[in-house]
Amino acid sequence: MKARTMAGGFAAAAVMTVGVAVGGFGYAAAAPGDFSTLPVDPNLITDSLAYNAAPSVFNPNGRPGVETVYIHRDGSRQITSTILVLPDAKAASAALDGAKAELAGKVANSKTQPAAVGSGGTMLTGMSPDGSKSVTVLSFAEGNTATTLEFDGAAEDPAPSDLVLELGHKQDTAIRDWQAS
Amino acid sequence: MRKIVMALAIAAVMSGSVATSQTAYAAQSSHDTNVYIQPAVPIGPKVQMLDCYGTTGSMGCGPGWVWRDGWRGWGCYPC
Repeated sequence: MKARTMAGGFAAAAVMTVGVAVGGFGYAAAAPGDFSTLPVDPNLITDSLAYNAAPSVFNPNGRPGVETVYIHRDGSRQITSTILVLPDAKAASAALDGAKAELAGKVANSKTQPAAVGSGGTMLTGMSPDGSKSVTVLSFAEGNTATTLEFDGAAEDPAPSDLVLELGHKQDTAIRDWQAS
Repeated sequence: MRKIVMALAIAAVMSGSVATSQTAYAAQSSHDTNVYIQPAVPIGPKVQMLDCYGTTGSMGCGPGWVWRDGWRGWGCYPC
């Protein structure tokens, strides 16, 4: 009886040891597949109440990552953040190229310029196909992630490029911090 | 005799009057109470720059800027 109790105790200790070794004590670290902390809230660079976030969509269109839509309180502006987390940097770069090609057909009268954000950063500006909205898209890769930040506003009120770049830099930093955790 | 007295009286009155006026003048000249005011420089019409809506602006936004709820929330935005 005593021997069985001791054996049970060792077994439990062994299980705990293996659990700690595998899982670690990183309570603050993001768990694999936990993308909830990735998107940067645009209210960080506004008057702090300008945008309301819709619930994040995880693994959008079956791809690993997270998509969050932020809507301005007056309803006239929208920021969509899409971050895909891929197996490696090569896959991320390929996903970024695919996203750019997709955007080219989605934005009319588009102009593309390089953006100093992440790797292969570009900023595309233009109008929606029906001309009713302004569209600005910042896309960049960072390690194994591919990110697009889309800013939709009124036709006469496109997103200022300084705001686009500022949010892009903050998002890039957040991704790097997430990757390092 | 009567004429002499009258003449002396008139002379006395006149001399007193003159002396008094001299004293008053002397006092006035030694304590000048006149205040000289610098002539005001003519000021041209003040220019009040207008904001994008043709008003004098609000919330401290300067000319060429307007207060509105924009991409960064409430703040001053260029016209």
